[in-house]
Amino acid sequence: MPFELITEPNYLRSVIRVSLTVSLTAIFVSTLVSLPIAFLIGFADFPGKRLVTAIINTGMGFPSVAVGLFVLLFISTDGPLGSLDLVYTPEAMIISQCILAAPVITGVALSAVESVDDAVRDTAYGVGGTRTDVALITLKEARYGVITGILAGFGRAISEVGSVLIVGGNIAYADGTSKTRTITTAITFETRRGEFETALALGAVLIVLVLLVNGIVMRLGGR
Amino acid sequence: MEYRRRAFLGAGATGIAAAVAGCLNSSNDASEGSIAGAELALATTTSTYDTGLLDEINAKFQDRFGVQVAPNAQGTGQAIQSARDGHADVILVHARSQEDEFMRDGYGVNRRDLMFNDFVVVGPSDDPAGVDDTGQATAALEAIADAQATFVSRGDDSGTHTKEMGIWAEASSEPGGEWYQETGDGMGDTLMIADESSAYTLADRGTFLSMRDNFDLEILLQGPIEGGPELLANPYGIMAVNPEIHDNVNYQLAMAYIGFFTSPEGQALIANYTANGQQLFFPEAEDPDFQQYVPEGWQPDSGGE
Amino acid sequence: MVDNYETDERPLLETTATDRHRGDQPMNLALEDVSYGVDGTEILTEISLALESGEIMTIIGPSGAGKTTLLRLAALFEQPTGGTIRYDGTDPWALSRDDRLVIRRRIGMVFQQASLFDAPVARNVDIGRRVRWPWPRRIRGFLERLLPRRFTGSPAVDERTLEALELVGLRDAWDRDPASLSGGEAQRVSFARALAVEPEVLVLDEPTSDLDPRNTAILERAIERSRERDHGVLLATHDMHQAERISDRVAVLLEGELVEVGPPGQVFEKPRDERTARFVRGDLLYDDNELPA
Repeated sequence: MPFELITEPNYLRSVIRVSLTVSLTAIFVSTLVSLPIAFLIGFADFPGKRLVTAIINTGMGFPSVAVGLFVLLFISTDGPLGSLDLVYTPEAMIISQCILAAPVITGVALSAVESVDDAVRDTAYGVGGTRTDVALITLKEARYGVITGILAGFGRAISEVGSVLIVGGNIAYADGTSKTRTITTAITFETRRGEFETALALGAVLIVLVLLVNGIVMRLGGR
Repeated sequence: MEYRRRAFLGAGATGIAAAVAGCLNSSNDASEGSIAGAELALATTTSTYDTGLLDEINAKFQDRFGVQVAPNAQGTGQAIQSARDGHADVILVHARSQEDEFMRDGYGVNRRDLMFNDFVVVGPSDDPAGVDDTGQATAALEAIADAQATFVSRGDDSGTHTKEMGIWAEASSEPGGEWYQETGDGMGDTLMIADESSAYTLADRGTFLSMRDNFDLEILLQGPIEGGPELLANPYGIMAVNPEIHDNVNYQLAMAYIGFFTSPEGQALIANYTANGQQLFFPEAEDPDFQQYVPEGWQPDSGGE
Repeated sequence: MVDNYETDERPLLETTATDRHRGDQPMNLALEDVSYGVDGTEILTEISLALESGEIMTIIGPSGAGKTTLLRLAALFEQPTGGTIRYDGTDPWALSRDDRLVIRRRIGMVFQQASLFDAPVARNVDIGRRVRWPWPRRIRGFLERLLPRRFTGSPAVDERTLEALELVGLRDAWDRDPASLSGGEAQRVSFARALAVEPEVLVLDEPTSDLDPRNTAILERAIERSRERDHGVLLATHDMHQAERISDRVAVLLEGELVEVGPPGQVFEKPRDERTARFVRGDLLYDDNELPA
């Protein structure tokens, strides 16, 4: 009976593994892109800076289904990345989670960089630092805010359901091994077919993960 | 300070490891020549997938051919669209008019009737609209409309919703008003909503039976399997995506899958598949029915359409 | 740890004017008709003064007179909008950024508010030396800090950092968290940070304005030791007793203009300028109509 098959620990492990792999990869890539942007904006003074900041902050609230749809159109056969054959793959989910997490990481890191006291920059300059030194010292001072941003981005990515459902397709093989089924999409699937116990188990895992991340965020933020 | 630095490092290391793992994980070589280790992309509907039948069929197929089947369960419209876009090798749905359009437009080849079950009208056991007594699909919906009893509709252009719309079109009442609610969700969700609000809904027998233990809902009007009206029949078809249109699809695997599903062994698996002690689907591929190869209602003298 | 960077190995406490590592003459600072304005508002007007090595010059003046701006110009934080700053006769702003950095690194700056990085005291003190390290060494230092210390064998703190802390009486505080320091201790750490790179010109912006007498005395002693090592000190203060105590010369800055420069005896006892006289009497501290009735 597939019902028993599917509630096996292997199934849960596989779903959790896909979820973590996709979200951690997305956060890793997203961080590499977001931090330089946050620092460039944080340090530079240019007309329209407020507008750019506002756009980033708006991006933090992008509805994930809209992002998923956008990514799907992009990677679909007729889209610009159609030749890569990414639809319904973990890579597609990584792309959409990257897009969802990047504004969060950029926005939080940017405000962390901007909240570093001017006196820190003056001090760094005053001890004979170059512009690079000033930037590095500012990064060091903003590190907890930056890490908070990365964790917040991870929280958004791991608990997101709309876009991964659209671009990933919630696929699991017959033996219960997940291809693109994440914790969140597995919860929707198990709930839909009345497998509440499996759904609850996955929900508990997700809540523990998010609590863990939020706990770290609060610990860092409460300093 | 020590602790925090290590925590940060640890997070970074995990991220890198995950990135590497992500690269290694990509298994997207369905169009490769060798069969073993290949993957077959199956587009299907949530209601079909949620019954669990496909997991059973696919596990057997995998044992036989060494090919993993990646079932992508979506709404009927979405499933057909992803097959049109070449994101599936084979498609299994239950909406004949949309299947015919898919075939006519050249996206599908080699359609086979696969199996059937039927739709049932379910509702609260006290049956305030008296559906139990109607015996006909149109009459049942008319009774619900007349009683202004709550009716929950999928409202999502799924096969089930298409069928419901077809019945309303033949009925003398119009759906609408506060008693008529559209969920926009899948069959399972819609059944749960109907159950919680003591409402009527049209459900495919398979999904309803597989979830019946969770519900107080009862079948008030049977489909043709249990001697009900033919209008409530729910036939499933399977088609390969045309490799002439999408050269990335794995046509040979798709045909192997269709062959397995329609073989005596596959048909027996369908016939023996039960949920809560009830058979969900009835094999149909063994009937020598010419109509399965052509659009519904096609006549030999109607010319090349 | 063997290191080629010569300044790292020299004990701070024993250095004298004669074994100055740069080998040239003690550095002099001169301002020639220096003006500074922002958005058309002139903050400083044609300031001319010269700071000799081994001299403590205090800048006194009411709040808003431009003392901080003057010091930021002297420490090369800002470029003057008029006139010329010269270090040993060279205009740093005529040099490339890299060449100007060489001059900047001979200047030490301490601000009114202690601004310590979120790192242990020792790392606050040696930051000036670390930014002077060549990149391979800096990267090595960064990587070593990621590993437990028992694997790398590098000492937790080096002698030179401890000596700089000793100058401000905080030798034992090297491993403390900045948040645990009192305001006076934090300012003394800031001071040690500036001293750790042994600047030839010290620019101090009211460093003792928020401190109690004991911490003030410790810092004044450290300032005097810099003079003993033939460093020039430019000190802004609004504490006229402090100016009288430790200055070799006092410069009076009123509304962006330098009205009088002279020894404390002259400025405080026999001012030559009428405005100086009014300021040292306290008349300029308030506008009449700002005073409570």
